[in-house]
Amino acid sequence: MMLRVSSKVEGQEANLEAVVQGRDAHSGVAAEQELLALVEATVGDRPSQTLAKSRTDLADKLGEESLIDAAAVIGNFQRMTRIADGTGIPLDDMVAALSFDLREDLGLNGFGSAGYTPKVNPLKRVLVRLLEPIVLRRMRKQFAKPDASTTVRPT
Amino acid sequence: MNQFAYDASPYQIPDYKSDAHRAAWSYLAGPGSWWTGTQRLAIAQASRDSLDCPFCAERKQALSPLSIEGNHNGDPTLTTSSLLVSSLPIKVLDAVHRITTDPARLTESWIQGLIDETFHHGHYVEMVSVIVTLISIDAFHRALGLALEPLPAAQPGQPDRYWPEGAAVDVAWVPMIYPANLSDKESDIYFGAPQMGHVIRAMSLVPDAVRQLNALSAAHYLPTPQVGDMSACGNLTLSRPQTELIAARTSVLNDCFY
Repeated sequence: MMLRVSSKVEGQEANLEAVVQGRDAHSGVAAEQELLALVEATVGDRPSQTLAKSRTDLADKLGEESLIDAAAVIGNFQRMTRIADGTGIPLDDMVAALSFDLREDLGLNGFGSAGYTPKVNPLKRVLVRLLEPIVLRRMRKQFAKPDASTTVRPT
Repeated sequence: MNQFAYDASPYQIPDYKSDAHRAAWSYLAGPGSWWTGTQRLAIAQASRDSLDCPFCAERKQALSPLSIEGNHNGDPTLTTSSLLVSSLPIKVLDAVHRITTDPARLTESWIQGLIDETFHHGHYVEMVSVIVTLISIDAFHRALGLALEPLPAAQPGQPDRYWPEGAAVDVAWVPMIYPANLSDKESDIYFGAPQMGHVIRAMSLVPDAVRQLNALSAAHYLPTPQVGDMSACGNLTLSRPQTELIAARTSVLNDCFY
């Protein structure tokens, strides 16, 4: 959901199959193969033997800073998934409504934790879908004039 | 000892990341609201140990996690029902291992089965906070091929057993606080936002856990107030779609719906 919307804000359409299928699908996101390789080599009980190569490939493609950031994002979501699954939270209402069809298409509703999120009323799904372009347009405007505070690195 | 110095690292880890890691280690070492520093570090160590636990590996392959019995870390003198491992009650050890290695199959009835007169929801939420703080930083190190940072020494002090008055069970298995119900003591944890995502609220029974979550999120992902702005990239050099691709793939590989 966040991937879909953030891509739309940048004027792109991400193929979300890559989220489920990994590198076999093409998301359309820049450096997707290198990013997904690092994730897939890292996540799991034991780091994969391909991890060292995935680091090198990603650093070659995007630079060392991005490799470090990618590692940090992986760490962040190794955490968030356990908070979500450990406390039984449902999806937030708006996200649930906006992502309903997407979750169906990707088979995410088959995950055990999907049961914590109530079914979305069909009328609400239609309404949210109609309103989505307005929300995205506002986001896109923001993207065109990014707030400097969102990009400044702390000293 | 200079923690998270990264001197031997082949990478130039930015100061704001190493600072956040040091702050997280300090958080782990001190007393919280429900556990002492020693207990929190025992939880953290148990979480690390669980990745080498043969029983956890076997249980993860089982059709149901409740369908098999066994001992954590292969110690034949321990069983899941009777004895202690180090300073942790066995049910706490088991919970730490499950949250770390098989979180997608946790259930509400399992959690409620943990709760008794000595183990409150506050213990549970704080335990989750300790585990995920460790996991987040350990995963960063693993991804970069860096040695795991040794755990810090425990700081003295007793838990304050603080229970926020606005906490109540609403949409999750644990009590949480809606922004409108924050008291002055924890009024900072949602940055004044009128609404807050469930995944942040999930830790709110222990306000310091939310503060820690916010601090580490700002270093590893985005400052919490920026998460809803789909053009925001925080301090990351990655584009937002690149960041979200990593996030989504990591979640799917963890079988996490959220």
